[in-house]
Amino acid sequence: MKAFGWKRFLSLVLPAALLLTAGCASSGVKNPSGVGVTEMNADEKGFVTGTGIESQDIVTVADQMCRGLLGIDRIANATTPPRIALDPVINETRFPINKDIFLTRMMAQLTAKSGGKVVFLARERMEALKKERDLKRAGEVTASSDPNVQEFKGADYFLTGKLQGLSTRTSRGTSDYVLYTFELIDARTSEIVWAGEHEIKRQGLEDAVYR
Amino acid sequence: MKRVWGQALAAALMLLAAGCATAPTNVVRLTGDPLVDAPNAIANGPPRDRVLWDDRLAAAAMRQGRFAQAQVALDDTLARLGAIFSADKESKKARGYFTAEAKKTFLGEPYERVMAYYYRGILYWMAGEPDNARACFRSAAFQDADAENKAYASDYVLLDYLDGLITAKLGGDGSDAFKRARAEDRLAIPPTANPKNNVLFFLDYGRGPTKYATGEYHEELRFRDGFSPALEVLIRVDEQAVDIGPYDDLNFQATTRGGRVMDHILGNKAVFKKTTDVAGDVALVGGLGTAIVSQDQTAQEVGLGIAAAGLISKIVSAATKPQADTRSWDNLPLYLSFASFQLPPGQHTATVEFLDPKRVPIPSLTKTITFTVSTDGKDKVLYVSDQSTTPQIQ
Repeated sequence: MKAFGWKRFLSLVLPAALLLTAGCASSGVKNPSGVGVTEMNADEKGFVTGTGIESQDIVTVADQMCRGLLGIDRIANATTPPRIALDPVINETRFPINKDIFLTRMMAQLTAKSGGKVVFLARERMEALKKERDLKRAGEVTASSDPNVQEFKGADYFLTGKLQGLSTRTSRGTSDYVLYTFELIDARTSEIVWAGEHEIKRQGLEDAVYR
Repeated sequence: MKRVWGQALAAALMLLAAGCATAPTNVVRLTGDPLVDAPNAIANGPPRDRVLWDDRLAAAAMRQGRFAQAQVALDDTLARLGAIFSADKESKKARGYFTAEAKKTFLGEPYERVMAYYYRGILYWMAGEPDNARACFRSAAFQDADAENKAYASDYVLLDYLDGLITAKLGGDGSDAFKRARAEDRLAIPPTANPKNNVLFFLDYGRGPTKYATGEYHEELRFRDGFSPALEVLIRVDEQAVDIGPYDDLNFQATTRGGRVMDHILGNKAVFKKTTDVAGDVALVGGLGTAIVSQDQTAQEVGLGIAAAGLISKIVSAATKPQADTRSWDNLPLYLSFASFQLPPGQHTATVEFLDPKRVPIPSLTKTITFTVSTDGKDKVLYVSDQSTTPQIQ
């Protein structure tokens, strides 16, 4: 062994071991790590965790819609603040979502930042409100005004929206396009007095272990 | 010379023993009841199996009418399906030679993912959110979109039928979805949808497929067919009766997806394992033979070197894990079906009989469901499995 020596021994064994352990079982597989999901707005790209509706979309869409709404003549120059009721968003995408979340954020933003230019009606609280009014009418609780006078306000406008999607899936990946549209509808005439839209497209490829 | 031999042997033994040195962790005692085992496994078992147990829990809970519990489990699953685009570290390791596929975070094969979305869709509809239910059915169909043979892509009859039905109920045009459903039917033909029907029965029955592995190193994923003693279902409510067959078959869906990319990776692992094993054998035999037979000291030492390389090659081969992941959502049904009725508001009782291939009711599977149709015009959505507890109030 002295003649051969440990150095020579190792010089034979180590390369062999390295050769054996080198390489990867996924060789020959296209994109074994997958391709990170890419957000495809008109002018930017970003990395996200899925191709569906993400929290940043809710923030972006709601903010954009609020700015659009506040700019229209019927709100910006109204002599009395218009009363708006929310009508649930219609979800036509493949992504189950909490549909109220967009309108709730828009309502909160508009109420906080419009300086009283719009008033929202708490229609989803009507049951509790009616119960309270009935208690006042029955004299079971105090009232600061005549409870028999109808004071629940009617809506001047309905704010609503629709989410629509287009999805594709092939061996090259998944693509999801979502179009968000919101409308302000005149409750008296049914005219759509304002509409705003935002669109997001995302693509991604699953990791090879899930393909 | 003896010293070298001793050192080589000791090193080899240590390497071999190292593989067994890991103490077992995350040991969960199973009772066979997913309602007991799943919470225990989720709390104490390996995180990679969480979705598997959520899925099993959801199916078991639905059959007992514990829909709120099923919803929580399915929401957990659906949230984690997002990880499919960015697998965690452990899952990525499953692509390597020395980590088994079963070490990845379980998200299920497409037919299993489809069922998670399908069940969640039923629960959304039950909760009065048909558009979110439709979103789930569409996502479910989407999970099946990447079949190798495109003829089998997104080919669940019921998912397209329900998409069309909800679209029609919401005032839209569901005709395209109905056309797709009709084009895909292989078993029972779905009836013309009536959007005015307000009582909807989601039915499933039989035992679904499970997974097993074949091949020299169990690197090939295969599906063991499920079985159902029942072929049709007879539902009686008040004076009405509907006899329906299955619209979708999970055996068919599991086996028509085609090859996976992961199968290719496992195939490579198997080839690597075989090659290193054979190379190890050759090197060991050749090297030791040279060392024993040769009278020349240098030749002996070279022979020993080759033998040592062979030993390492054998060790590497032994450490290679090409086994396919056979974890299965093992309480899935075999058949999926659906029926609808138009009933007035008030309480009703339905009798659901599961019929064998000769159309004879199987008494042990008969279910009785009491339900109330509300006056607000919302659909009453009912879920009945041949494994549901009976009687149930939904």
